[in-house]
Amino acid sequence: MTVASARPRPARQGPTDLTFAFDEAIVEAAAAGEPDWLAGDRRAAFARFLVLPIESNQLYTTYVDLRNATLANAVPYERARGAGSAPVGPTEPDHGTAGTASFRENRIEIMALDAAAIAAGVTLEPLGALIDREPETAERLLIASAALPDDDRLAQLTRAGWNQGVVLRVPPGVHLKQPIVLRWAVGAPDRALLTRTLVELGDGAVATILEELLPTGDEVADRQNLFTGTMEVTLGRDAKLSVSSLQELSSSTVAFQHRHASVGEGSTLHWAVAQLGSRLVRSRVDNVLAGDRSSVEQVEIVFGSDDQVFDLTSYTRHIGRDTTGNLLSKGALMDKARSYMKGMIVIDRSAVGTDSFLGEFGMNLSKATRSVAIPSLEIDQPDCRRAAHASAVGPIDEGQLFYLESRGIPPDEARKFIVLGFLEPVVARVPLEEAQDRLRERLDAKWDAGSGVGSGGTAAA
Amino acid sequence: MTATREIVTDQRDQFAFHDDIAYLAETKRGLTRATVEEISGFKNEPDWMLQYRLRAYEHFLKRPMPTWTDGLDKIDFDKIVYYRKPSEREEKSWDDVPDQIKATFERLGIPEAERKFLAGVGAQYDSEVVYHSVKEELTKLGVVFMGTDQALIEYPDIFRKHFGTVVPAEDNKFSALNAAVWSGGSFVYVPKGVEVPLPLQAYFRINGENTGQFERTLIVVDEGAKVHYIEGCTAPIYATESLHVAVVEVVALPGSKVRYTTIQNWSNDVYNLVTKRAHAYENSTVEWIDANTGSRKTVKFPAIYLRGEGATADIISVAVAGKGQHQDTGAKAVHLAPNTRSRIVSKSVSKDGGRATYRGQLKVSPGATNVVASVRCDALMLDDISRSDTYPYIDIQEDDTSMTHEATVGKVSAEQVFYLMSRGLTENEATNLIVQGFLEVFTKELPMEYAIEFNRLVKLEMEGSLG
Repeated sequence: MTVASARPRPARQGPTDLTFAFDEAIVEAAAAGEPDWLAGDRRAAFARFLVLPIESNQLYTTYVDLRNATLANAVPYERARGAGSAPVGPTEPDHGTAGTASFRENRIEIMALDAAAIAAGVTLEPLGALIDREPETAERLLIASAALPDDDRLAQLTRAGWNQGVVLRVPPGVHLKQPIVLRWAVGAPDRALLTRTLVELGDGAVATILEELLPTGDEVADRQNLFTGTMEVTLGRDAKLSVSSLQELSSSTVAFQHRHASVGEGSTLHWAVAQLGSRLVRSRVDNVLAGDRSSVEQVEIVFGSDDQVFDLTSYTRHIGRDTTGNLLSKGALMDKARSYMKGMIVIDRSAVGTDSFLGEFGMNLSKATRSVAIPSLEIDQPDCRRAAHASAVGPIDEGQLFYLESRGIPPDEARKFIVLGFLEPVVARVPLEEAQDRLRERLDAKWDAGSGVGSGGTAAA
Repeated sequence: MTATREIVTDQRDQFAFHDDIAYLAETKRGLTRATVEEISGFKNEPDWMLQYRLRAYEHFLKRPMPTWTDGLDKIDFDKIVYYRKPSEREEKSWDDVPDQIKATFERLGIPEAERKFLAGVGAQYDSEVVYHSVKEELTKLGVVFMGTDQALIEYPDIFRKHFGTVVPAEDNKFSALNAAVWSGGSFVYVPKGVEVPLPLQAYFRINGENTGQFERTLIVVDEGAKVHYIEGCTAPIYATESLHVAVVEVVALPGSKVRYTTIQNWSNDVYNLVTKRAHAYENSTVEWIDANTGSRKTVKFPAIYLRGEGATADIISVAVAGKGQHQDTGAKAVHLAPNTRSRIVSKSVSKDGGRATYRGQLKVSPGATNVVASVRCDALMLDDISRSDTYPYIDIQEDDTSMTHEATVGKVSAEQVFYLMSRGLTENEATNLIVQGFLEVFTKELPMEYAIEFNRLVKLEMEGSLG
């Protein structure tokens, strides 16, 4: 009625509103100069992006909240071409690793393998380089594997607009004793880095990956940046892959993650994911147990504080006979942190002899936290060794606390030990000792910084 | 295994009947504003109820059809008759009930049940309560047990105070539909401190092809009072869809105890879409004991909102899904107050291509401190053409909640069947026994004659499943 305010008030952001301004111009800029199959793939993805809802699974539609993400000003980097800029860092991989791919924003800092890995025929290279060098292989890995879920709007966002990527390939029979480190350091204000990571292990290959998602120190609180990342894994027969991911991004970073694994006959995949950082994480894991006797073990921990939101979905589909799925999610929340843990196990009619377990456990450490767990089962084949899930949410166990205090440990220390012990299953899986120690330090520091913990919520941040 | 067939005799034809009743009043097929006005007119209702119905009708039109469960789009609302009145007035005693209707009930075994155990009978024949008796002692205690329509006239104050407060018309599309066209159902009021010594029973049936049944039940249990209410359903088998959209509201005032038992055995062409909810106040206890064996599709999640400190919720939900059936059932417990407790136990059996879905919600709201909650759901699948889904929602917003949830899915173990067969049982009998054992957590909560009837129903459902 009145013409009171001259400045138009910005529209209120709804929980499902994606503020990131992703448009055709961005897609076309990325596609410029690309082979037709790739440009076509981006356009097809963009068409999907335009029509998909933010959550296409109706089971979860009421548990979406993107309001922590204010990405209206985030501008995507230019798509990295060919081998990209020459690595600015060392030409050797990090000490103790078989290979290191290290990025700072869209720039490559390290892209190197050790001599043994090179001799064995392992390749680690920027995605742009593979597209130029071996377009057929790139096409097979990017398109034929169809790893990014067709019904997921944010996966289609990355598929349409990716501007950096890395590919690791381990030939059949090669055993890498030391881990490969894939490091992404991001945080430049108002920027968007959209990445794809492709991993292929041939028959009988064995590898370990440590993924590190780190802040850069360039972050500015009110100017968020976006990081999207995938890990698209293809395992042949009897291969073994272990992936640890440490996500320690800054609180001004928003992260969208998609992990997809197609697990071949007799192969084994381990995921160990630690989610500590970011203002908002929306992550999805798809495990496809396609081959007979294939198995996946997945452990995910969340340690949240302030107003962080962790929105984590995992789908595990049993297709082959005698497959095994063992999935565990644990969350400890402080301050006003929230976690949504959505786990779905699907057992197809063909999956006779399945052994599947899904556990979702939460610890709410302050009154303003919120834990949502939705562990679901869809079963078409009753001939299973096990098809079960369990979930529990509870405070710190008084019995454990009493025991530790009786051993002379002060109450606050005791509480800390119990919470960090609760998260230990992922820490123990991290391959490099230094990385393990750093994760423990980070958890420790986060506990100490978490306001009000141990004192019943007095010092609100 | 054909030799074992005769041991479990098929008793389905007992329920598969259709009497030709001369209906005294009925609406035209389909639903319009005029239908709603007509229903209200038949009943001589106060104007506020007509206005309430019309508001609900508008909301029903606006509300989209839910798509989170499939198959609801097959309902043709234009084919349904929304109101039928089979006889002129409430009958006071069994002798006055018209013979034809009486014959129908005879076959369902109601009079025996009444003579044996039951405190009162509210039998719903299509859309109106035709028979009602409340034992004299209950009347003396001040317990009100009558048709909901009658209660609207006779107890307008209690009625209006609570009607629609637990399940608002706007709650969902089907609660809106019920609010617009509701007819019949039971009204129970138990005064302060009164313990009703025997279960109150209402028997529901649908008769008449494409007759919707939209009963509305309101149970108000005053402070410190105690009651057990039982409803059971059966319906004739028809080829075309029937629709049952009920709303049940329970108000458990401080210190009261309410148990609500349902055995749902609609025929396999009925869409059974029910909103059942209770509000539990300080130190009250509400128990839903809910079994679903019939219907083509049931969507029902008995819910308890724990609104008062120290309230307790206990839900046992059982579903058997056979050929062509989808049981989309489960339970909800919403903790809104400190020191509240809830327990949910769900058991489902799917077979012959049936689908059993558990959908549940456990929510602890901010402020609901010191909550203890547990959820257990087990599913049994009898063959690999059937399907079982489990979708539990757990939402905890307090830091001192103690919550556990467990779910398992499995099949009948060959060892158990083998053991029982070595003791002289046939394979069919052995499987029957195992299924009955699996569901015993439910059966043992029933009064004896209901337990017998329920086991008979399970046996009926099991018949031929090992063919």
